[in-house]
Amino acid sequence: MNAVAAAPAQPSAISLSLQNITQDFPSPSGGAPNRVIHDISLSFNHAGINMLLGPSGCGKSTLLHMMGGVRPFGVVTPTSGTVMIDGKRCDGPSEDVVMVFQQYANRPDMTVWENVYFPFTLKLWRNKVTRAEAKERTEAMLQAVGLADKRDLFPYQVSGGQNQRVALARALVLRPRILLMDEPFGALDAQTREEMQLLLANLYRNNPCLVMFVTHDVTEALILGDRVIVFATQPAIVSDDFTIATPRPRDAAWLRSTEAVALQDRVLSRLHDASAGKGSLRVSY
Amino acid sequence: MSDFWNPYAALTAQSRRLHGLIAVVGALCIWGALAMSGTISSNKLPAPWTVMHAMSYLAWDNGHSILLSATLWSAGRVAVASVLVMVLGIPAGILMGSSPRINAVLSPLVDPFRSAPIVALLPIVVMWFGIDELMKIVFLFAGSVVYLVPMVRDAVLAVPQSYWISARDLGATPFECVTKVIVPMAMPRIADAIIVGVSVMWTYITVAEYVNAREGLGQMIQNSKRFSAMDQVFAGIIVIIALALVTYQVMSWIKRRLYSWETLV
Repeated sequence: MNAVAAAPAQPSAISLSLQNITQDFPSPSGGAPNRVIHDISLSFNHAGINMLLGPSGCGKSTLLHMMGGVRPFGVVTPTSGTVMIDGKRCDGPSEDVVMVFQQYANRPDMTVWENVYFPFTLKLWRNKVTRAEAKERTEAMLQAVGLADKRDLFPYQVSGGQNQRVALARALVLRPRILLMDEPFGALDAQTREEMQLLLANLYRNNPCLVMFVTHDVTEALILGDRVIVFATQPAIVSDDFTIATPRPRDAAWLRSTEAVALQDRVLSRLHDASAGKGSLRVSY
Repeated sequence: MSDFWNPYAALTAQSRRLHGLIAVVGALCIWGALAMSGTISSNKLPAPWTVMHAMSYLAWDNGHSILLSATLWSAGRVAVASVLVMVLGIPAGILMGSSPRINAVLSPLVDPFRSAPIVALLPIVVMWFGIDELMKIVFLFAGSVVYLVPMVRDAVLAVPQSYWISARDLGATPFECVTKVIVPMAMPRIADAIIVGVSVMWTYITVAEYVNAREGLGQMIQNSKRFSAMDQVFAGIIVIIALALVTYQVMSWIKRRLYSWETLV
């Protein structure tokens, strides 16, 4: 790991809170609106990896999109309730918040290096970061995600895992205070997913921020989370919310420990009671 | 032969060329045989060798090349009209593709002309723009721009939304999304639109040059027809086809060089 990336940063004060969030989507058949999220209130007051765990299609991605990033088109989100970031109402993209998508939106016409450098070509960041610093940060970030030797290759010339590293680097190079991850490793094979989870844990240790990580993989939630929030589906409500004190990286042996097995059983039985037959979770191991 | 009905089993380049060569030579043989048999009079179907002879006469006769000057005139007109089409048509297509509102306004004014009989517009173009160079350029422009603008618009619309969302999230303004994301990503298909637009002009060049014919390949063909020199008419048509083919190949090659990432995504 590179010296710049390895220097542990001081976590800055941050607060994110969801207040009575409810979301309805218009029904396609024109009937009563479809409630996907029902009265969720959560708050996050310090750096940490927060896992939003729930069955596919439970509305957890919709919730994530409300916290920043880009709101969906054609629908007002949230229907009621407020998202507050640092005590201010959040209703659009913010420079403190960066999102990593499952479909890594890497530009096919740009090299790995250009993809990570891309945000610095935008007016918003040009006014904040000098060209020299932008180049330095890009270089350090590529080192940190292990892509220094791939810098001149195009996305189609590197693997899916490496593409997701590019997407992660492009988000982290902006040093966001809040990092939103929407099932970022969902499309990767098991081994690559493990590598990426370890990478994220390492990157986080060096640059702690508030990470909101959406997943439907129980194992992933247990391996990465400081706090795990479990959602039941249709509509999404919080069905469980617990913290894991065991330090990362957590290995396969820990996953077989009494603590981990108990947590896994707890999540699965809760979800089974709350939303049997409505969606499914994945257990990787 | 087991791969005869398999669209994904591509032939080798050598085999492909050989097949094409056999087809062309075969067609020439049938043409020659028909001409020799005398079933069709030479006024209607000149023999291939007569056409070759006419071609060489047009290419060089008495220290003067009719073909060269005609080609230069036609190519010049196509070039001027191409520049015009690109300068006006590409921005129009990009605007339409980038803003649903602009598209809603311009689409009913542009799209119907894709199926309009452009040749039937010739009398109007002559009435408005006279019979000189301006009229020829405008006619070529009109024939081409009606294809180019919708194609550029569709190229822009074909860029997946995920790139737009990602750029917005990283802090791009909507305008930056268009200039830094949508347009660069649409460039390969915009290049396809240019290739089609220019190729279409070669099909309209003869029509444009029939009016007040003084120079150009269209005039050359028109002139030959007037003197019933069917061999020269055939020669002229072959030259136009060859020029269109070369233009197409060169432009495709440039496009592949510039946007090599497109097919490999």
